[in-house]
Amino acid sequence: MAGYTALLEDVRRRVSESADPTARRLASKFGYLKYMVVRYYEMLGSWDRVEELLEAFEKPLPRAIRVNTLRFGNPREVIERLERLGYRFSKIPWEHHSYVVTKAGGVSLGATHEFLLGGYYLYRGVASLIPPLALSPEPSDVVLDAAAAPGGKTTHIAQLMGNRGVVVAADISRERFRALRSNLERMGVENVVALRVDSRKIPEIFGEYFSKSLLDSPCTGEGIIQVDPTRKTKTLFEDLARAHRRQVELLTAVVRSTAPGGLVAYTTCSIAPEENEFTVAEVLESVGGVRVVKPAVEVELEPGIVDYFGIRLPEQLSLCGRTYPHTHGFEGFFVCVLEKIGP
Amino acid sequence: MRCVVGGGEVFEHVARLHGSRAAEALREYVPLYCAEPLEVYLMRAELMHAVERILKSGRFPYFAGFYAGRLRSDKPRFIPSHVLLDRLYKHIGHPVRAVKISDAGIRVVLYGRDVLAESVVECFEPVEAGEVVSITGPDGYVYAVGLSKISSCGEIGRLREKDVVAKTIFDLGWYLRSGTVPREARYKV
Ligand SMILES: C[S@@+](CC[C@H](N)C(=O)[O-])C[C@H]1O[C@@H](n2cnc3c(N)ncnc32)[C@H](O)[C@@H]1O
Repeated sequence: MAGYTALLEDVRRRVSESADPTARRLASKFGYLKYMVVRYYEMLGSWDRVEELLEAFEKPLPRAIRVNTLRFGNPREVIERLERLGYRFSKIPWEHHSYVVTKAGGVSLGATHEFLLGGYYLYRGVASLIPPLALSPEPSDVVLDAAAAPGGKTTHIAQLMGNRGVVVAADISRERFRALRSNLERMGVENVVALRVDSRKIPEIFGEYFSKSLLDSPCTGEGIIQVDPTRKTKTLFEDLARAHRRQVELLTAVVRSTAPGGLVAYTTCSIAPEENEFTVAEVLESVGGVRVVKPAVEVELEPGIVDYFGIRLPEQLSLCGRTYPHTHGFEGFFVCVLEKIGP
Repeated sequence: MRCVVGGGEVFEHVARLHGSRAAEALREYVPLYCAEPLEVYLMRAELMHAVERILKSGRFPYFAGFYAGRLRSDKPRFIPSHVLLDRLYKHIGHPVRAVKISDAGIRVVLYGRDVLAESVVECFEPVEAGEVVSITGPDGYVYAVGLSKISSCGEIGRLREKDVVAKTIFDLGWYLRSGTVPREARYKV
């Protein structure tokens, strides 16, 4: 266990020592474990902002769709067909083919004919659209999607690549893999090689093979409490540390599978620094040969955290991006783009 | 799950069912045959290198490219996927071996029910009893694949409203009902 993973023990101690009465009050008001709220103060720097975050987690997430240009050559056709069912949308300015649902129509969005025809992908939150844009895959790329199921990001990547180039979509879960197969088929994706595997094995199979890699990592979901309110009480600090260790193993494998000069996007639907900045910091230190670069996306992101309970993280982590429900109006989420330094 | 690359069987079936012009649409694709029963995927040559790496490591891809359909030892010997059919029709400019049905008919078919004569608005030759037939909507997209009960489009005029024109063996409602069931269970035949 190297430096930053070991420092999580310091974080745990400081969090458990905190006796702040405001943390206790807010934890009890919103039904959270106290240690979570103590950390939110450390992330956001004021109790007002913490309360805004907790209030935002009480509100439902706006749903979004990405129109699939691989099946419908004219994206307007999909929107017009859904409008005839009573739906209304507002365009997301930073993703060409994506829309927030502003009014629901008569048929559920997961059951329309347009959905079955692969006319769109349905998202429970808007932030999921950011990682593929941050990776900016092109038709000439060989892409790894190392935690791909059920395929929201794989299908988006395929669309950005115009169904050309190569995407290796890997996931370990048998059940989720079937959903991935279903989604890729429905959406008319044809540039994917699907591999059911523990992605920690990918370097053994491919070596330094990929020009762009995405790790949409398994995480504790601390950014989507709107969707799963049980998350307020079900995850202990030890669970965060366990998730961190798994993420470090996966990210290490993904960095090792990426060719020199290539990009790696690491992302989670969690706002926990333990699963995000600490994971990236650990890999920067233990694997080496990578540096953080700013994600090339049009959406404004909050900077990555570099000071947490008095622990200094590498300054370059401020180039990573975060979203919070109270500042962005969608799920809490983290993205960090690493560049593998060439030979 | 085993997969092998190559072999032209799928192209022969496409040419037999949909004509040689339709088969031309697939010229740049390499077949990948996976699993039991035999599922056919078609991939562009670009994907071959990654597939070979996987095979060399002693593993098999779950699939690669797009799903083209299933090969069988009995009739129908090849069940094309709706994705393949949409692609073929786009290439040749019109459907073949197909019935176009009304919106009301589509709604019923998407629950897995059979196609009745009353919902057929157009029929595209050739059709052949016991062989596959595409079920398209008024928008031209393939919503289901069935087994034809008729041997020529002319027969439809002689059927009663509730007579079955095609037995549905796959419909897009499958993505909703059973998107995560094993692929072996996909077809009702
Ligand atoms: C956040 S989800 C991915 C969501 C997906 N990227 C999307 O956009 O639809 C994380 C995924 O990681 C997978 N996973 C967990 N551990 C893994 C491992 N060791 N190797 C490969 N996949 C793994 C899980 O099965 C899960 O599907």
